[in-house]
Amino acid sequence: MSSGKQAVGLQPYLDAVRRTLTAALCLENFSSQVVERHNKPEVEIKSSKELLLTPVVISRNEKEKVLIEGSVNSVRVSIAIKQADDIEKILCKKFMRFMMMRAENFFVLRRKPVEGYDISFLITNFHTEQMFKHKLVDFVVHFMEEIDKEISDMKLTVNSWGRITAEEFLKKF
Amino acid sequence: MAPEKHRFGYQPISCHTFNKARNELALSPNNHEVHLFKLSAGKWQLYDKLIEHVQRVTDVDWAANSDRIVSCGVDRNAYVWTRQAGGWKPTLVILRINRAATCVRWSPQENKIAVGSGARLIAICYFDQTGDWWIAKHVKKPIRSTVTCIDWHPSNYLIACGSTDFKARVFSAYVKEIESKPSALSWGTKMPFGNVMAEFSNGGGGWVHAVAFSSAGDKLAWVGHDSSISVVNSSNGNAMATIKTEYLPFMTLTWISENCILSAGHDCVPMIFEYDGNNIKFSTKLEKETTDDSEKTVSARDKFLKLDSQRTERNVTELKTTHQNTITQISIHSGAVGNVGKFCTTGNDGFLCSWDVKV
Amino acid sequence: MILLEVNSRIIEETLKQKFQNAEAGLKQESVSILAADFDGVKYHISNYNQDKSKLLISISLNFFKELKEHGAEELLKREYGSYLTTPESGYDVTLLIDLDKLPSNKEELIKKCGMLKRHCFAAVFEEYFRFQQNGEVGRKIAVIHYRDDETMYVQAQKDRVTVIFSTVFRDSDDMVIAKLFLQEFKDGRRKYQQAPQVLFSHKEPPMELKATNARVGDNVAYITFVLFPRHTQASAVENTINLIHTLRNYLHYHIKCSKAYIHSKMRAKTSDFLQILNRARPDDKPKEKKTAKGTTFKQQ
Repeated sequence: MSSGKQAVGLQPYLDAVRRTLTAALCLENFSSQVVERHNKPEVEIKSSKELLLTPVVISRNEKEKVLIEGSVNSVRVSIAIKQADDIEKILCKKFMRFMMMRAENFFVLRRKPVEGYDISFLITNFHTEQMFKHKLVDFVVHFMEEIDKEISDMKLTVNSWGRITAEEFLKKF
Repeated sequence: MAPEKHRFGYQPISCHTFNKARNELALSPNNHEVHLFKLSAGKWQLYDKLIEHVQRVTDVDWAANSDRIVSCGVDRNAYVWTRQAGGWKPTLVILRINRAATCVRWSPQENKIAVGSGARLIAICYFDQTGDWWIAKHVKKPIRSTVTCIDWHPSNYLIACGSTDFKARVFSAYVKEIESKPSALSWGTKMPFGNVMAEFSNGGGGWVHAVAFSSAGDKLAWVGHDSSISVVNSSNGNAMATIKTEYLPFMTLTWISENCILSAGHDCVPMIFEYDGNNIKFSTKLEKETTDDSEKTVSARDKFLKLDSQRTERNVTELKTTHQNTITQISIHSGAVGNVGKFCTTGNDGFLCSWDVKV
Repeated sequence: MILLEVNSRIIEETLKQKFQNAEAGLKQESVSILAADFDGVKYHISNYNQDKSKLLISISLNFFKELKEHGAEELLKREYGSYLTTPESGYDVTLLIDLDKLPSNKEELIKKCGMLKRHCFAAVFEEYFRFQQNGEVGRKIAVIHYRDDETMYVQAQKDRVTVIFSTVFRDSDDMVIAKLFLQEFKDGRRKYQQAPQVLFSHKEPPMELKATNARVGDNVAYITFVLFPRHTQASAVENTINLIHTLRNYLHYHIKCSKAYIHSKMRAKTSDFLQILNRARPDDKPKEKKTAKGTTFKQQ
């Protein structure tokens, strides 16, 4: 996408993610050709190279990027979230841990992110059979749109909490 | 005219097939069963279930003339079902495969069955009179990945297959034990069993999801995961034409006339493409995208439930197409390959839709 | 936003009730209350020799020995006078109150008893404030180990008294939040000129503690308060001490609060995300239902 130097606007970035995901989410029920009577997400197993699509990285800048790994029956979407400083780092870490602890409700959420990313979703043919694919895409894009806002919002909260804590104390002198 | 729509549950329809008179239907609701329906007063009534597979059924095919059904599944088995006084009776087909069976088709003369599998081979099965059972011969080389689709050549001697190794191939399925030696065809003259008559790749390719011979059998069309449709003409030195479409990948296709291909897949709409001997051109979609946003009447309770679970009262989730999920199969309802009048589609949304072809 | 209370509410409320009962001439019940406070401080309220009309209020501080070196006993004598008695075993200071001989100003006594911990702490501050005012510089730094792994240092100079707290954050994330908070303490002085100067250092102790064996490490932070004469002058002493000695707990408390608030925000946003994800489910689909046994079945 980008040369890495110049930041890409948010909308083109999200549009690229949406298009890539829509194409990657064309899945089918596919039995393992390696292990007898198995049916596992090929993108996780990676035992048959020809069943994997070339992974795509869409990056807005060096810190914000999405890795989309496709396969015949599953797609893994991993997101690196912008973290400008230490506080954003811990907020991001805490938030993602909080969500991953609730992975069973989120059914498409992977319990562990792929290395180098903050959160990963695993979408299989069973999900696209039972649900509207375009709405699953909407969800991922919505998540990406909101997560930055939410983290900067939380950071503001901590900042102002700190400021009020300090001022209340200092003005008593 | 809007297509006729029948719901068969809320799960994918793995596969479906009609009897010759089109008043009976067999389909698998994404599990180990095959359900049999009879048409009665415009409605499909369930009248029997074929339960012998222990894992998901992947394909069924109804032999029009001999009125037999063949089914295959993830459990690596195939059964031939014959109609008897007390119901349908299964006969096991000895496939000798160690991975899932993925697709099955009767040969045009209904004396052979071809089964594709994840074991990277095609089992060509025929009935052995002396042993009184169905036995299989394997076509293996040079298939390097799961066989996803097969189609018989009208001659009854050749079989086309597509697989996840990005290739479409034509093999000889001539079984000397039960049939006379074939004479030359446009695909070649020598046809020992398993001989590779042709092997094609459209360059990029992607997984091949469906293959189809034209009615005369001289042309072969296939669809790939790169949203492409390709045609090879064996009467013209295997000249290949390919179109890489702007649509999502297609999962199924058939020839509706000598030069028109009908295909459907992840865009949930059947589309027609024309082949003029050199090129393939997009012709039309079988339905226009409607912009019907008319509000459905919703109960107050549903509104609140939705507000609670989805944070919106009204969530327009439905696609603007008849099918609400990927179309995985097209079957001919009236007419034949090369001369289709009416066809049916099924897919992951549990609907069976029937359409009139207007070329 | 609240400031932590300097006094002990448990002591105050217990005394208030006892005093009211005494005034009304009601029969006193026997009492035995154990209470904990910040910094490992323990209180014990009981009866003297099973005499229900005589109350004992005891406090135990792990670092009382260090406070004693800085005149804690003298200060307590000044504040509590004849109420002081021999400390109960296991406690450092004990007050004895005869409910039959209460002074006329009961409120004042209640308040005074509630400030027991504060008065223990106060000695060291008062001493060093005095050093500064009298120009007695060069005294060695007072070291109070007010918690197992946390220490307070007080140093007097000609024009200032420096109070340094070392504090430990077991969770490295807390350190990040603490840095942010302390930056606000540092910056806050621009707005509140009368406040002491606040400095902050992480991992390494500040210059003043170079000579001591002050702790070094990733989870250690040092907070330095520079108190100027206007904070140490007689009229300001009480307020300054009240604030300074609660600083450590005030800071930790608000870091915890901010974390709890972030947590609730995460919870809300997570359910918000779930709602968006739920929009992918088709509407007309029959819902899965659970039977009493917890097995699921689908409506046909």
